[in-house]
Amino acid sequence: MIQVRGLSKEFAGRDGTDTGIVALGSLDFDVRDNEFLTVIGPSGCGKTTLLRIVAGLIPYDRGEVSINGVPVTGPGPDRAVVFQNFALMPWADVLTNVSFGLEIRGMPKAECEATAMGLVKLVGLEGFERRLPKELSGGMQQRVGLARALAVNPRILLMDEPFGSLDEQTRRLLQEQLLRIWEQERKTVIFITHSMEEAVLLGDRVMLMTPRPGRVKEIINVSLKRPRGQETEKSATFIEIKEYLWENLRSMQVA
Amino acid sequence: MTVQESKKERKGALSADGLRIVVFALFAGSWQFFAARMENMLIPTFTEMVGGFVQLVVISGRIWEPLYISNQALVLGYLFSIVVAIPLGLAAGRVRWIDKLLNPYIGVLLAIPVAPLIPIVITALGLGLTSRVVIVFLFAFIFITVNTRAGVRNVDPGLIEMAKSFGANERQIWRRIVIPGAVPGIFVGLRIGLARAIAGMVIVELLLVASGLGRLLLEFAGRLQADFVFATVLVVILEALLLLNAMRLVEQRVAPWAHDISVE
Repeated sequence: MIQVRGLSKEFAGRDGTDTGIVALGSLDFDVRDNEFLTVIGPSGCGKTTLLRIVAGLIPYDRGEVSINGVPVTGPGPDRAVVFQNFALMPWADVLTNVSFGLEIRGMPKAECEATAMGLVKLVGLEGFERRLPKELSGGMQQRVGLARALAVNPRILLMDEPFGSLDEQTRRLLQEQLLRIWEQERKTVIFITHSMEEAVLLGDRVMLMTPRPGRVKEIINVSLKRPRGQETEKSATFIEIKEYLWENLRSMQVA
Repeated sequence: MTVQESKKERKGALSADGLRIVVFALFAGSWQFFAARMENMLIPTFTEMVGGFVQLVVISGRIWEPLYISNQALVLGYLFSIVVAIPLGLAAGRVRWIDKLLNPYIGVLLAIPVAPLIPIVITALGLGLTSRVVIVFLFAFIFITVNTRAGVRNVDPGLIEMAKSFGANERQIWRRIVIPGAVPGIFVGLRIGLARAIAGMVIVELLLVASGLGRLLLEFAGRLQADFVFATVLVVILEALLLLNAMRLVEQRVAPWAHDISVE
């Protein structure tokens, strides 16, 4: 579904005199329909930059990024992003936050709220729809972010370390919830993470990136059966792949 | 929490008001004490000031017409400054080239003391209401502008990126992210602007345009009626408190989400 060929991205230096940072080298990979692709790599390898390029939020310098043959030139209704820092509007309640994408696209308010309510229930926040973000825990806020992304019914879900700022217990619960929701309707997902466990637990394939300038080092098939859950983490395959990832990541960390 | 701790907490809530009364009583009391001992014609005692206040407000009612006259300039000047300052601040906050263009002027306007400009304005526009309105405007508007700009700048850029990711155009970003996000900062500006406008309202009358409350102050001072001077000042202070409090209530209705980092 998503094709990336020879993708490069450079960020200019701050005052023009020093040379810029090459965030992404020449990236080549595909994301298949309905696939859950996790992306992992050392810090600074350009994972977030890659996600933002696929989301259409930043332009790229060289190469091709296309979705079903159509090149990416900006944001679109086929994609939705879940942000690491939740990006919820602090002045709006849960329902309004979840409806945001729908309202932007011009859906009438009543319809937005009805659709949004369905998603509030799906992520388990029924009863909290009139609360403000500051009244919610981090895990709940991210569930709002997820509901908001799902509300616009995108074909592709782009998740930028969505559980990165949560504690481990909350993270595990949300992983389970995400898997359950995803099993119902298997959207194409690109999921960025720092955690090897998370990458293997969630992904159909794990894309391992090199340090800056980011390139694809390897794409590993995760042949674990679905639906996945707590038991999955005890399997030999899981541990093997996880260790393999860490070996690679460790050797890639400079110093 | 234990029973003792919750009792302490409730006591704390009660004595916030109690504390205010105690501080005020101490203030009034020490004022009364020292003023009575000093026997200075120009420093009335607390009770003399209160007596003057009652006289001006209730008994003779002398305060009301000048109050009305002065407030004309306040209302017009303040509203005018809001209408100019907020769009300017919004534009400067969001559009970089506008900000760069305005920056030197904003810096100058912040630094300039307005009082020396009053004679210039009077010479240009005469001694009437227009000059007073312009002075009130000059006192207030730059502070509303810079705080509005700060409010816009404090909008989380992550929210703007989020809005773009859902396909929002610039107009939608303004309406749904920038303006609601800037509201707390705007209110800070409105409060400071109001305080400045009130000061401007009185100062211009004191310095040159002898009308309204300023004229009253000059008259009482000229006659060494210190109690009435202080009473008039008290009227201005009370008006300012009233208006600022009203604004706080509006803000709580409009922007309940504003962060409050002060400790309990």
